[in-house]
Amino acid sequence: MLKYTFKGVGGGNDFQWCFSQVKGAIDEDVAEADIISTVEFNYSGDLLATGDKGGRVVIFQREQESKNRPHSRGEYNVYSTFQSHEPEFDYLKSLEIEEKINKIRWLPQQNAAHSLLSTNDKTIKLWKISQRDKRAEGYNLKDEDGRLRDPFRITSLRVPVLLPMDRMVEASPRRIFANAHTYHINSISVNSDHETYLSADDLRVNLWHLEITDRSFNIVDIKPANMEELTEVITAAECHPHQCNVFVYSSSKGTIRLCDMRAAALCDRQSKFFEEPEDPSSRSFFSEIISSISDVKFSHSGRYMMTRDYLSVKVWDLNMENRPVETYQVHEYLRSKLCSLYENDCIFDKFECCWNGSDSAIMTGSYNNFFRMFDRNTRRDITLEASRENSKPRAILKARKVSTGGKRKKDEISVDSLDFNKKILHTAWHPKENVIAVAATNNLYIFQDKIN
Amino acid sequence: MEYKVEAHRIMSISLGKIYNSRVQRGGIKLHKNLLVSLVLRSARQVYLRDYYGGICLSAQQAREWCEGEYMDSEQDRLVPGSTESLPESDGQSEVAVDKQEPSIVVESHAALDVESEARGEQDHAENGVLDSGCSELKTPESPEASPTCEVSNVVTTISSNCISGPPPSNPKQATETPNDCQTDSESVEENSHEPIVPHTCTNRKRSADDSELTDSLPKRTKVMSPTLISKNDEKKAETEEMDTSNVSSLITIFGSSFSGLLSSEDGAQPDSEAEDSDSGQICCDQMLKNLNPWSTAIVAF
Repeated sequence: MLKYTFKGVGGGNDFQWCFSQVKGAIDEDVAEADIISTVEFNYSGDLLATGDKGGRVVIFQREQESKNRPHSRGEYNVYSTFQSHEPEFDYLKSLEIEEKINKIRWLPQQNAAHSLLSTNDKTIKLWKISQRDKRAEGYNLKDEDGRLRDPFRITSLRVPVLLPMDRMVEASPRRIFANAHTYHINSISVNSDHETYLSADDLRVNLWHLEITDRSFNIVDIKPANMEELTEVITAAECHPHQCNVFVYSSSKGTIRLCDMRAAALCDRQSKFFEEPEDPSSRSFFSEIISSISDVKFSHSGRYMMTRDYLSVKVWDLNMENRPVETYQVHEYLRSKLCSLYENDCIFDKFECCWNGSDSAIMTGSYNNFFRMFDRNTRRDITLEASRENSKPRAILKARKVSTGGKRKKDEISVDSLDFNKKILHTAWHPKENVIAVAATNNLYIFQDKIN
Repeated sequence: MEYKVEAHRIMSISLGKIYNSRVQRGGIKLHKNLLVSLVLRSARQVYLRDYYGGICLSAQQAREWCEGEYMDSEQDRLVPGSTESLPESDGQSEVAVDKQEPSIVVESHAALDVESEARGEQDHAENGVLDSGCSELKTPESPEASPTCEVSNVVTTISSNCISGPPPSNPKQATETPNDCQTDSESVEENSHEPIVPHTCTNRKRSADDSELTDSLPKRTKVMSPTLISKNDEKKAETEEMDTSNVSSLITIFGSSFSGLLSSEDGAQPDSEAEDSDSGQICCDQMLKNLNPWSTAIVAF
């Protein structure tokens, strides 16, 4: 049982977030390819991976804490950059396949190298990232330039020696899992058995073995016989953190299905069905859109799961299917603006959510580069902003507030002044510490708790 | 009237989105298009209810002028002027209303009763929920705000039996108007003489808020293709009949793509199609061209 050591999110006396770093161009003109599309810490939290719309993956590594400043946390610096996916063309359907990285998931580390899965709409790739900081010198058959030595000139044998060199990080694609998805892949999730993983698209979920690329098992298929009868799609899927036979998938209708792979080969019949009855008083044209779940995440304990829909975050107890145990409003003030948000497509934005290491707090993004944190124990919440203005080193982040009533207090921002182009869709929380990574369009902000 | 415009606008926007999704990079996104089609369906249902409410209106007015006194006495019964819910009087007045209803549109009185009662029940539950948006209601012309938020659901279930909108005078709505929309009782009584077109309060709120947001929301999806834009302009300049014929064309077209959307509203078409004018037909063809790719896309999937 994890001890509750988290002192509080609400800006209480004990706890405050402060700025640590920002990565990315300062330019006002944002290139579409630089827009960050996924953020993920690895299991130890020492590595932080981002994927962007241009198909690139950038991995940051945390520097070791320096001996001079033992209490300051290490900074994240670029460790490796590589082009994971390229734009492709499906000739059969005359469709272009975007290179945008939809998801990155780290694999547990098994040797000196690091491995991750990255996926675009159609293809999943397993990348191995390894580093070399030594090289061999003194070969017998070739000289230092690499040219082959004349064998007749070799009169003695020597053993090559390993000498230190500048660290070189290489990323190589070890597996390519392709041609298994007709629709756009929205999720990948590594299983707790560390041998398999699942991938989900709009209508199907497939189970792969990490070593086998030429086939996968289809474990969920919700495609109707007649596509014109389609009423819902799969929006996210995740494996249970401890039970390797259990996974969940969420739908565009706001429901979550938990499946047990031991029950049947094809898990079309769920073991559990999570749905909260709709509040009829809040029905509108856009009720269906805003109830669509954009992200689902198990808690680290495996006892709860969290879902994100357009306006709220809900925490579900896996043992209770008829309603969530907690509901947090992210930006309820947008409920009256749904028509405009529909017009400018913002209503289709897919926000993600994440747990902290101890499952005591959750975080999700909003507009105007705001992101929200909710402390599950104290029920306090806080709104923070990722902006260049608050980017002084170790600057404490001030709580932000959106004014919903008529009178706008000082320091509050009115709903109409929110910048809907500045959206925070992707956030990640360090698995063990209070360090968070927040993707704001093309910039990656790293915040950490104040060092007392 | 406002709701019709709003529903119409949402429908145009939705169609524009579907059209544009064809040319978006990365191919058609199934999820987004599914959601857009759901919005389109809801908007269309509301639009149609408005339309058929309009049909009832014109017929009702004609009868009113002929049967002045008789109408007044009926209306007195229908408008208790209080804010209480009166399920019994509902039943009675429903019957009275039915007798007056124009014979043109109504297929099934029984279905109408069911619909009104269903809405009545919902009105109970939703009374007083929607406040700020409704307080903006000023014109006596505006239809009563039934706070029913399950209009589209109701219509879906009922539409298989009945094509018309609500009964012309729903006393439940008349009594609830003061509650929800803070109109004075005079205008309530005035309105009770006219057919009441139920609509979600949220729509009104939305249209009020939209005007505020026009400037602040920077990214507007300018999704109208040239054909769509010209069609929309054309629509706005046209009469109600024209609008309706376009919508009915839409329904026909969509019928081939989404079986769930169409249900049995085909039965509704004869009325509107009878009013089809030539330009309506042209619009229909334009729409047809634009929408075919979507059905092709669905089939391709």
